[in-house]
Amino acid sequence: MKYLFLPLGAVFGFLLSRAGATTYDYYAELFLFRDLQLMWVIGAAVLVGAPLLVMLKRARARSLFDGAPIQFQPKPMKRGLLPGSLMLGVGWGLSAACPGTVLAMLGEGKLGALCTVTGIILGTWLYGLAQDRKQAARTRSAEAARLDFAP
Amino acid sequence: MQQSVIVWPGWVAGGLIGVYLALQYWLSGKALGCSSGYGNLCGIFSRARYFHSGEYAELNNWRLWFSLGLPLGGLLGYVTSHGALPAPSFDMGALYESVLPQSLWFRAAYLVLGGVLIGLGARLAGGCQSGHSINGMAQLNPPSLLASAGFFVGGIVAVQALFGVWG
Repeated sequence: MKYLFLPLGAVFGFLLSRAGATTYDYYAELFLFRDLQLMWVIGAAVLVGAPLLVMLKRARARSLFDGAPIQFQPKPMKRGLLPGSLMLGVGWGLSAACPGTVLAMLGEGKLGALCTVTGIILGTWLYGLAQDRKQAARTRSAEAARLDFAP
Repeated sequence: MQQSVIVWPGWVAGGLIGVYLALQYWLSGKALGCSSGYGNLCGIFSRARYFHSGEYAELNNWRLWFSLGLPLGGLLGYVTSHGALPAPSFDMGALYESVLPQSLWFRAAYLVLGGVLIGLGARLAGGCQSGHSINGMAQLNPPSLLASAGFFVGGIVAVQALFGVWG
């Protein structure tokens, strides 16, 4: 089933391209409030997607690929959500790209996207390293608490 | 406005993206999202446990293939616009070109920095525009609404500063 995501990704990438989301100028136009193309794109996607998802939920639809019930798991609130979203927003405006559109830009021959993709991989990697350190510290303090408790 | 590809009216392309969101759920049961896939790429070179456990226990999964499909979609968008393969270019369009220095090294460092903010920010926020602003807002999920507001505020601050200071 995972290979079917190659054509699915291509469909989504194609739609992003047609939406203007791979065109640098639209990002500056949006945040300068001159041309709200990309806001209409997100708005229409939400307006059309919302009732369709409600229908899938009501029908208790099952995945056509594997027959499993479709799980709608809303993303949870987390501590880094607000600072993280602001940070992503700043990167969005500076580089005129988001994680999905920048990959479609690559396919359009936009070489700047190569640098942005490199940066996104680096940023993701930094987060992973920080998570590892946090996990290690947690294990150490749990270990310390256990030793403390021993007679 | 400098466009290198055909661009449809926002409500047409957006509406189709909404249909795609539901279609992907219906076909595969998977939620639309783009930023987690970068962790699959990190797992290829990094030995950090984060990239080899939990959702990354299996790196060769649907997210990897979805990430590989996106550039194909961009290529398709270009080829169907021009009837020819894209000529690789560093051009960033009239607006960004008008404020950014021409130096290629500056340009590369600037975009890598922007990318780091995107990658780190997306993981801290637990998703990006497709996961929070499209998938999450379509389900009226409060954390996704907050994240989407954060994305917009960050974007407005960055672009207003960029074009206010240099433009």
